[in-house]
Amino acid sequence: MKYVTYINDKKFEIEIQTDGTLLVNGEVREVDFLTLDESLFSVLMNNKSYEVVIDETDGQYEVLIQGRLYTGQVLDERAQLLASRSGGVGVDSGEISIKSPMPGLIVAIPVTEGQEVTKGQTVIILESMKMQNELKAPRDGIVQRISVTAGISVEQGKLLVTMT
Amino acid sequence: MVMEPQQTKIKKILIANRGEIAVRVIRACRDLGINTVAVYSDADRTSLHVRYADEAVHIGPPAPRESYLKMENIFAAAKKTGADAIHPGYGFLSEREDFAQACVDEGLIFIGPPASAIYLMGDKQMARETVKKAGVPVVPGTEPGLRDDEIIAAAEQIGFPVMVKASAGGGGKGMRAVYERADLPNALAIARREAESAFGDGNVYLEKLIENARHIEFQILADMHGNTVHLGERECSIQRRHQKLVEEAPSPFVDDDLRKRMGDMAIRAAQACGYVNAGTIECLVDKDKNFYFLEMNTRLQVEHPVTELVTGVDLVKEQIRIARGRRMGPTESVLQPKGWAMECRINAEDPYNNFMPSVGTISTLLVPTGPGVRVDSGVYSGYTITPYYDSMIAKLICWGDDRGEAVLRMRRALEEFTIMGLKHNIPFHQNLLSSFSFLAGRFDNKFVEDRFSMTTYEQAPSEVELETAAIAATLFAHRNRQLAGQIVNRNERDTSNWKWLSRWERVHR
Repeated sequence: MKYVTYINDKKFEIEIQTDGTLLVNGEVREVDFLTLDESLFSVLMNNKSYEVVIDETDGQYEVLIQGRLYTGQVLDERAQLLASRSGGVGVDSGEISIKSPMPGLIVAIPVTEGQEVTKGQTVIILESMKMQNELKAPRDGIVQRISVTAGISVEQGKLLVTMT
Repeated sequence: MVMEPQQTKIKKILIANRGEIAVRVIRACRDLGINTVAVYSDADRTSLHVRYADEAVHIGPPAPRESYLKMENIFAAAKKTGADAIHPGYGFLSEREDFAQACVDEGLIFIGPPASAIYLMGDKQMARETVKKAGVPVVPGTEPGLRDDEIIAAAEQIGFPVMVKASAGGGGKGMRAVYERADLPNALAIARREAESAFGDGNVYLEKLIENARHIEFQILADMHGNTVHLGERECSIQRRHQKLVEEAPSPFVDDDLRKRMGDMAIRAAQACGYVNAGTIECLVDKDKNFYFLEMNTRLQVEHPVTELVTGVDLVKEQIRIARGRRMGPTESVLQPKGWAMECRINAEDPYNNFMPSVGTISTLLVPTGPGVRVDSGVYSGYTITPYYDSMIAKLICWGDDRGEAVLRMRRALEEFTIMGLKHNIPFHQNLLSSFSFLAGRFDNKFVEDRFSMTTYEQAPSEVELETAAIAATLFAHRNRQLAGQIVNRNERDTSNWKWLSRWERVHR
């Protein structure tokens, strides 16, 4: 199997051959990868010992090694093909949705539809966990649609604002 | 002649709280051989405090005002289980004088100060007047209950910057710093709204903002026999939006002379309101070591463990002992704390995204241990953090012979601490403990907000580290593909290692 793996936006071509040999960018690596628990692993590489915790949600991988968190994606051949057709991973254009990261109460919406916003500008104030949280625009753009009104309660993952 | 206070037996304590502090109180009760009753809302059936208690009583829906703040439900639970005392923990009903009084009226022992002391210290203005009479310095400010136009006029007199604070406040809710006159009306509106929603009381007042100030507080213990001592200070300047993040004892800023003077002041302030039980005098200290009384917290503090580690006093046990009418353990104030203790609050907040709270299920939890490490927590692997309560996951407390050793242990423990499944602020603590200003003890209560960045001390990962992560992620994905593709013969060897998986592949291809 050939994989293309991105970790913190750095690309690695990793091949796992049927005999178990592992190649990183064409070079052989000796790896002992031991499963301890669903997401807990002990990895030995050149006698260096790493405790590794891995979580995957919706194709996003989180890898914790020695108190440091790495994020990335692992694409097999099919996924690579799909990604190349849609213009690659992590495109910076098109429509983006701002969703509620947690259940809460919409306290205020300081923007209006059609308004131009800059990266980091507050678009929604959401009260949750006893705090008023400012949800910010991930990049410059125009507010297309606001799907909520101030004063209503929202569930986690609820679409709040669409912007282009 | 002074009447000896009546000594009472306590056999069963109801803890009117949840999460880590409920677990903390239960542990002290167990040490003392006292039975415990937990209370829980619909959202907390799976919480650790329910599992640790001898008995547990359901008290209502998740919203605090329908459960943890609902006195009649708490009293019904106490009656049902035959509890003879109530420990309120911190937050919720802990600083409500009507609750303390109602406990007494119900024939229950309230493990905390008398209702009269909570009343005096709970009203900020009355607290200021009370301690001023005892010669305790206070920050210049206004009385609460003023209209907006009166507050704006007063602000001109006091001089900017000023701080807007909620009369019924605590924990940073309804608090706003205002640097210019033009921003004041808006800040008042926000503060009133936050105060209204958090405490059901929209009254606010003003205080002069002392710049470059440190937040230093003194732990007080007082018993019914007329003894009042302090157990030294806690340095709590590492805050963000008035939420403490790191606390230590002692403070790198406090010398023997300042500790003596502030300690005497703290005892006077506590005595001025007839204080009994554990309490905390919070102060601002400016760069010239002038100190001002801020408020008294008439309860156990979140950060109480750092004091416990440098004094050897179990504060919850002392609280219970005092509530029983006995003499407290410590007979003298602590002028020479032993070693150094530091606490990091581990919160479900993303430090890379403006400390946005995070909810979700903890998929993996590995808790640090070893010499000098203590973890107070109310969670476990598989536990779901809900949006109903605060975002604290655990408190990591480390002790060392000196500040350097405490910092190094904390760094080691933070590296061991593994929490997966939601975003948390461990990376913030790791960065903070690498910052030169923090290591040198040079910081004030604006340090985190104004001068700290997550990127200053974070080193880019090396090539080898990135590759290791990439290999691990790829093997994880590969293994899951293999397991998903394997329909027959799933047996216990599913959790075996990668070497075996590759052999399996060879056999079955």
